[in-house]
Amino acid sequence: MLSVKRNGLVFGVMVVGIALLLWAGWHNLRERRLAMQRAQENHVVLVPEKAGVALATDPQSPEAEASQMRGKVAPPFTLVTLDGKKVSLSDYKGHPVLVNFWATWCGPCKVEMPWFEEFNKQYAAQGLVILGLADDVDAGKDAIAKVATKTGVTYPILLTDGKVQKAYGGTEGMDYLPMSFYVDRNGVVVEETAGLGSKDQIEAHIKKAIASGAQPTSGGQ
Amino acid sequence: MLLRLAVAGVLLSLPGGQSLSAQIGSLDAPTPKPKSFVLYAAEQQTVTAGKRSVLELHFRVVDGFHVNSHTPKSELLIPTQMNLQPTAGVKAEALEYPAGTSYSFSFDPAEKLDVYSGAFTVKLAVVAEAGTHTVDGTLRYQACDHAACYPPKSLPVQVIFMAK
Repeated sequence: MLSVKRNGLVFGVMVVGIALLLWAGWHNLRERRLAMQRAQENHVVLVPEKAGVALATDPQSPEAEASQMRGKVAPPFTLVTLDGKKVSLSDYKGHPVLVNFWATWCGPCKVEMPWFEEFNKQYAAQGLVILGLADDVDAGKDAIAKVATKTGVTYPILLTDGKVQKAYGGTEGMDYLPMSFYVDRNGVVVEETAGLGSKDQIEAHIKKAIASGAQPTSGGQ
Repeated sequence: MLLRLAVAGVLLSLPGGQSLSAQIGSLDAPTPKPKSFVLYAAEQQTVTAGKRSVLELHFRVVDGFHVNSHTPKSELLIPTQMNLQPTAGVKAEALEYPAGTSYSFSFDPAEKLDVYSGAFTVKLAVVAEAGTHTVDGTLRYQACDHAACYPPKSLPVQVIFMAK
């Protein structure tokens, strides 16, 4: 009699255990289905970026601005030097050209200008031309000349006309300085930097511009 | 105290967090750029009518940036400067700017600058007739971050106070 009761108890425990296992399995399956459903709702397709397209969504971000001109033909310009001589980008057709925008109030600009001067001499034999475009013409020629002298710059310093800033920096002009554009022998911008670069990086970009013979792509002038 | 936050510059949302300093080719990428580098918090103040009183204009430079102080160490640098419009019933006297703090770029430690960063207060002494007054003005400044500098900007400012 006692044995029958015990068997009944064991049977009952087994039934409850199996029921618990089944419920746990069903609950687990339900949770997984709900999780899958939530994952589907939040599904995002990641599309690889195309070359030459800014990765940042904000078109005014430094990242976006630093890649807007890359791969495009450098916009032409004709500007005057501090002593009134006209200089055009097209004067240097066939040369690699570094177009550097700077201002008298820009500390980082004045740090890299002596480096540019050094590279100007170092890579002159490879045809390198450096043009310094003063973004703050309202500071006056004297102030601009003073900075050029203080930084030891002998390459041409050109006075911007308001149009060239828009051609290179967009409708708002240059949002920040320094901005540099490394143009190859074909007139294509092969590298663009926003803010101060290290001396090594600048030299690498210069070498790239010297070595590059890439064909222009559409989008520039 | 009634605090009227008149934030004249609205921060632009920061870009999506991509680390592209290599693409930029800079020492470090310039800090993502807000629309205004200096914010103004206008606090309604009360002064004694007919007596010389000092109003406080509270500004804050956005984190990651600095602006030249009112007395930068080079004539080529653009000082932070308040310009106020004449206002009926208010005689604006002297503007008092805080002292700047010493700053140098990491890439040029020898060059010492005098800058404002974080919060700074400009004091304006006035003698005003009884009533509520609004003095319009602008704060002209030029900001930089650790690797780049930004063109000079003008921040509209309204100094609102009551004289009684």
